[in-house]
Amino acid sequence: MKLVLLWMYHDLMDLYGDKGNIETLKYRCAKRNIDLEVRTCSLNQKAEMEDVDIFFMGGGADKEQNLIYQDLLSRKKAIQHLLDKGCQFLLICGGYQLFGQYYKDQDGKVVNGLSFFPYYTVASDRGHRCIGDVAIEVNLGKEVVQVLGFENHGGQTKQVETPFGRVLSGHGNEYKGSSEGFMNEQVIATYIHGPLLPKNPEVADFVLQRALARKGMTMALKSLDDEWENKAKEVMLKRMGLAR
Amino acid sequence: MSVSLRLTQLVARVLKKMGRGGSFPGTLGLKFDKKMISKFQMPEIVILVTGTNGKTTTSNLIAESLRQAGLKVVHNRKGDNLNVGIASLLAVNSDGHYHIQADACVIEVDELTLYRQFKDLHPTHLVVNNFFRDQLDRAGEMETIIRRIEEVTKDFKGTLILNGDDPNVVRLADNAKQAKIQFFSVGENAISQKTSDEASEGKFCPRCSNRLVYEYYQYSHIGRFHCEKDDFGQIEPAFYVSAIDYENHRFQALGRSFYSFMNTIYAIYNCAAVLTVIQDLKLDVECANKVFQSFEMKEGRNEVFALSKPCVINLIKNPTGTNEVLKYILSDEKEKNILIILNDNDQDGCDVSWIWDAHFERLLKGNVRHVVTSGLRAYDMALRLKYEGLEDKVMVKEKVEEAVNFLDEDHCPSYVLSTYTALHATRHILGKKASQ
Repeated sequence: MKLVLLWMYHDLMDLYGDKGNIETLKYRCAKRNIDLEVRTCSLNQKAEMEDVDIFFMGGGADKEQNLIYQDLLSRKKAIQHLLDKGCQFLLICGGYQLFGQYYKDQDGKVVNGLSFFPYYTVASDRGHRCIGDVAIEVNLGKEVVQVLGFENHGGQTKQVETPFGRVLSGHGNEYKGSSEGFMNEQVIATYIHGPLLPKNPEVADFVLQRALARKGMTMALKSLDDEWENKAKEVMLKRMGLAR
Repeated sequence: MSVSLRLTQLVARVLKKMGRGGSFPGTLGLKFDKKMISKFQMPEIVILVTGTNGKTTTSNLIAESLRQAGLKVVHNRKGDNLNVGIASLLAVNSDGHYHIQADACVIEVDELTLYRQFKDLHPTHLVVNNFFRDQLDRAGEMETIIRRIEEVTKDFKGTLILNGDDPNVVRLADNAKQAKIQFFSVGENAISQKTSDEASEGKFCPRCSNRLVYEYYQYSHIGRFHCEKDDFGQIEPAFYVSAIDYENHRFQALGRSFYSFMNTIYAIYNCAAVLTVIQDLKLDVECANKVFQSFEMKEGRNEVFALSKPCVINLIKNPTGTNEVLKYILSDEKEKNILIILNDNDQDGCDVSWIWDAHFERLLKGNVRHVVTSGLRAYDMALRLKYEGLEDKVMVKEKVEEAVNFLDEDHCPSYVLSTYTALHATRHILGKKASQ
């Protein structure tokens, strides 16, 4: 079994430990004898996209996000092709925003996104930055799980018809919002970093399972020892007053 | 004579008699009089020190060097570097008429709040060490911090002492047209590398956004760089370290040899910053060299405790500082245990994602027996190590006491890495254990 992951702008969109998501996928694949090839692609570099199964993009500071913006738009056709072929997408923060319609900054300047999905993002009003621990409830098809992490974003994402999860604690897509992120059959897009996958192994396995399913491999993944993952979650849920 | 100032001084004196210092008098003083800080008559020399890493050490070294040169110096030695700490410092050291009773003030200032205090303090010198990503939940993006400092140094007429090997610091020279600029720089040496897997910042030219070219890296994004499109980075350093002899704790500059108080590249940069100041003040550089030879680092910085085997504790708070501590630990080739205490209180930064940007995977290669994780985020730290393949060596002990007991009972030299809010309590536990 082999999967190919493309990590876009690995050296620029890497603000909040996003590389931890890659480490987690690598580890969980290795434990199951799945060969995960991780390719990277940065500004002005050629990307081999043909056989990509998982597309990953993290978040960056405004300055970095502005730098990659034109480069990303120039790849729109190739990314559309990946979407058409059923590739899985994991998009964090800036990556999430750029796949939507547009981003409107504080001065009202509009930066067009790749426009693959109907949501759009506007800069927050003063003082309405969403910062802090966040917990959401996510329906992963077979199971409903609590997903934990840290959010730190000014952008307020609106018109999300199919969110990633329901906010239990924290803000989510908007300041004091009720929904977090965006999800469909191929995409998980979220403001949760921390990073997302190490502490939420169900989500990591969900992404892997979907990527494998497209290749016709639908058997269940071997379960792993997730004791520390569960403990890390338990400790935080208790602190957030959400322990079940 | 000011009543509010007198009251503040009185409270400070009472607290001192009770054996307590701290920033409470400043909190009180600023409550009486919001503009208190701007009212002080500052001495002829006012040196502010800011940046992400090394502020406390650098400002301590500068203050001690000036004292060595015979000046009376006022200085926030313990690093109370916020508004209230600075107000306390000035109130305690002034007469009843806001006259600071000293020849020089050396003040460490938090890089996030510098823009607020800068003009009130009437600095003659501003030293900027470096800018690294640090506590993103509190600080926000680095770009914002730099822009705010650019705002206040725009019409600064004093001397800017800048790390010439950090593009984000060199950038300040572009906007400070009226200031005298003094760069310090460190030449290629045994630890310099042609490529870096640590550099997160300083990748692009602040003038034209072109990718910067590095001749060599020292650590993180610190190194010799230039832009191929414009001349950004082509500096003429006022102070240049030409060679480092790590074996003998020495470095070469100004055609002579100096002693380095610690055998690390960042310590050399701290020394360079200090010597640039001393040189600019036309004082004898030997005063600084003497201080380097006898300097003891602050508590929790390479402090040794005698458990059953020696145990060295270090503060960690951001990826770059952690990487340097890890390099130091791994330079010890003997078998060792490591304890990492990760908290996420306000002063630590509530966002612990930074642990993924530090290179903990390097512990795979060291001669490491066990890694114990502890603190409020003990399991997050354990996961960080697990996903790098260290799971067989990792143990979680939520309580620091239990973790320290383990280090003591395992009879193996150990290193402790602790975030800020766990440092004090951990030193206390280590001290107790060492005296048993």
